[in-house]
Amino acid sequence: MAMAVNELPELDLSDFTSSTTTTPDLDDDQSRRWGDWSPVVDWDSFSVHPQENFHDLLEPEMDEDTDKTASYSDDDPDLISPMMIEPVVDCHTDDIKGLRLVHLLMAAAEAMTSDNKGHDLAAVILVRLKDMVSTHEGTNMERLAAYFTQALHTLLESNGGGGGGGGGGGGGGGLHYKQQHHHRDDILAAFQLLQDMSPYVKFGHFTANQAIIEAVTHERRVHIIDYDIMEGIQWASLMQALISRKDGPPPPHLRITALSLPGSGRRSISTVQETGRRLVAFAASIGQPFSFHQCKLDPNETFKPTSLKLVRGEAIVINCMLHLPHFSYRSHTSVASFLSGSKTLNPKLVTLVEEEGPRVDGGFVGRFMDTLHNYSAVYDSLEAGFPMQGKSRALVERVFLGPRILGSLARVYREEGECGSWADWLLAAGYHQGNISFANHCQAKLLLGLFNDGYRVEESGCNKLVLGWKTRRLLSASIWTATQSD
Amino acid sequence: MFHSKKAAAGSTTAMNSLHHNHHQHHERSNMCGVGANNHNTAGAGTIQGDSGLVLTTDPKPRLRWTVELHERFVDAVAQLGGPDKATPKTIMRVMGVKGLTLYHLKSHLQKFRLGKQPHKEFNDHSIKDSERASALELQRNSTASSSGMMGRSMNEMQIEVQRRLHEQLEVQRHLQLRIEAQGKYMQTILEKACQTLAGDQSMATAAGYNNGNKVVGGMGMNMNMSMSMNISASSSSTSHLDQAAAGHRGGVMLLPGDHVPSAIKDFGSLNFPSFQDLNLYGTSQSPSPPAVAAAGTAAARKSPLVWSDDELHLQDDHHRQTEHHHIGVLSSNSSEAGDGCDLDSTIPSHIYETKPLTLASSHNIDHHHHHHLGLGSVDHQKKMDRTSPRRPPLSSNSSMDNMRATLSTATNNSTSNMSPQGRSSSFS
Repeated sequence: MAMAVNELPELDLSDFTSSTTTTPDLDDDQSRRWGDWSPVVDWDSFSVHPQENFHDLLEPEMDEDTDKTASYSDDDPDLISPMMIEPVVDCHTDDIKGLRLVHLLMAAAEAMTSDNKGHDLAAVILVRLKDMVSTHEGTNMERLAAYFTQALHTLLESNGGGGGGGGGGGGGGGLHYKQQHHHRDDILAAFQLLQDMSPYVKFGHFTANQAIIEAVTHERRVHIIDYDIMEGIQWASLMQALISRKDGPPPPHLRITALSLPGSGRRSISTVQETGRRLVAFAASIGQPFSFHQCKLDPNETFKPTSLKLVRGEAIVINCMLHLPHFSYRSHTSVASFLSGSKTLNPKLVTLVEEEGPRVDGGFVGRFMDTLHNYSAVYDSLEAGFPMQGKSRALVERVFLGPRILGSLARVYREEGECGSWADWLLAAGYHQGNISFANHCQAKLLLGLFNDGYRVEESGCNKLVLGWKTRRLLSASIWTATQSD
Repeated sequence: MFHSKKAAAGSTTAMNSLHHNHHQHHERSNMCGVGANNHNTAGAGTIQGDSGLVLTTDPKPRLRWTVELHERFVDAVAQLGGPDKATPKTIMRVMGVKGLTLYHLKSHLQKFRLGKQPHKEFNDHSIKDSERASALELQRNSTASSSGMMGRSMNEMQIEVQRRLHEQLEVQRHLQLRIEAQGKYMQTILEKACQTLAGDQSMATAAGYNNGNKVVGGMGMNMNMSMSMNISASSSSTSHLDQAAAGHRGGVMLLPGDHVPSAIKDFGSLNFPSFQDLNLYGTSQSPSPPAVAAAGTAAARKSPLVWSDDELHLQDDHHRQTEHHHIGVLSSNSSEAGDGCDLDSTIPSHIYETKPLTLASSHNIDHHHHHHLGLGSVDHQKKMDRTSPRRPPLSSNSSMDNMRATLSTATNNSTSNMSPQGRSSSFS
């Protein structure tokens, strides 16, 4: 499917002629849906163009669209290239354009898997793509394509520069592009927006918490070892739940040990110490007996269970949030060492939240497309709930999703043979599957009910809940127990 | 004619009650027909038309969804990517069956979609609906599995339903409490962030800053008490954040208190309205501090405003409008949030007075989001007076309208259309 470069312009043109001659009459549903999208086009910039004869077609639409169209006129020449007329802002041309972007991306990905000549071809395609899309403006598909283009570009550069990108430490950590250092307040704002606009974060947290609560009903002491505590918000609701168990024992003493991973401060909202202080204060405010500990890991991120402070008679819970949207990728060895080390502690419960990754087979291109579909679903889900809040979504995309896309592709590209989910890994390591209770499932459904209709939760096996958007599975939360024997 | 059919089709009333019966003619009888099409057509002759459709011989011929026709339908839907993506029009095209009209497909698709998602009924927050739905689901399951349910008596099934419902209510209650707890925690994060910035303010240069700063500092301390105030704080909030990010000029934080309150505002408004909508816990105020409760009610009322504001504070181009907007908001703020937040009406206005000065000094910053602050203070004033011919917001046409409306009326009645789409659809 490698397209020769000089074919590209023709390809675009032919697409246009076909699309302009059709006058699709839209179904009611469709027009309602698409009408909510922000039209991308700026009619003004199309002055230098052979397609003047289309202006007649455009007239009726122009009046109604001029108010809505953002006039990118002089400031963003890179967005509108002479090729990109969308005569009628309707689903057809948006689809066609989106399809074209996907094809280009796929071509670029495919070109990257071959030799150096392929890399050159890929570079050319990426340049072309960069002309077509921008991360700030456009439809979902366009912005998504822009981020993917950036990611591919970075991969290409780091590859061409000799020596692969990143090595072991933290997924996309080895590959930076300009905007990597976000201001802390940006991160905070984006995190809030992410929380409010989508159920991903809450789903992961609440499912894990509910499982924990059910597992420790009769315990007097609970010790949670948290792999990546980030800002600690998960534990706020857990503490609240422990406090408000109306019947039964008083709240158990809760201890949280947070692992302090090197390099985690870069994109997190706060350091582990700050989080600890905050949790202590919060616990005090609601009357939950609590203590906080920190476990610093070496740069090679191997987890040593012996470095933890353990108390007799406490129930140990391992909490492993891996791929919530605002998390960055951790290296495979780090997570593996954590999980295998944890097994020696004989934990009562292990909660794991991870993304539904790209399928194992299919090579780079196949997994690239999978990743594209996944993030496309995420973008869609955000837009469906909040179609008017384009800038907010753009912020979330810029701060969280963009870097995630880069990290995702870097992992897929490096093909370290670590494909396959952590759930499978746990199973292979000898953990037993827990049971998702009715209450947990019910809670997830209710939570999704607060958001847009398109979210789905389904049970997968007896110990896993999978959150998805429409038919695309995105995030899974599973619970495990260690074997009691050994 | 239709009434008699409806009366006779006793087993379909339940199904009908779940559907929207918006057609008053034969489409409706189609729906009746599908479920219990034997009712009125049993024994009656059926015509196999040339088109392959099976029509009944009633005075008004209705379409019969035979197994083959339904299979073709399911195939077509699958081809199009699922019941969500398929539309009657495209299905019609794909199926290519003559005589099949959009109406047929519309109603059939609707039923198909609902039939595929029985779990959605759990999301209803009205007890009665859930009860009926759960009972229905159990019934459906029981008819599906042959021997499993046969042995159980109706009583047992009812008990099971009741138990599940009770559990569901418990879960709902807990869910609300947990979300609120998370909200409280977020507040602590934001407070910390705000206080850090209050410390930064000593680095600010212009006199105008200090004026606003003192006030903002005071505001910071009282952040807890005045979440409603956050809406006013708007400003260039994140846009200024971006500037700071890009330029890394810690000194020019302009009105540092702004972005934090806006962040609080975001959270405050976005979380609580959802539970307002739930209507189940209208009066229950969890043991959270009064601030949260105040935020709950105040923010809920203001949620539409907040959304347009949310748009605004990320749109740096429209500082003029944001200012006006916020002044408008302020006045409505003070009228509504009369819960002891004395600071509301006074502090924000100070901020806005100093605003033009602060904006003026920041016009040379280069940044990512095409911020166009390239105006001196004079220009800025001019800009305030003149209507902007320039780019309207990217995707918030209605938010612009809302702003203008707010300007003119200084109320927030007009912003009803700004409520987040997802929520309104969930709770309709």
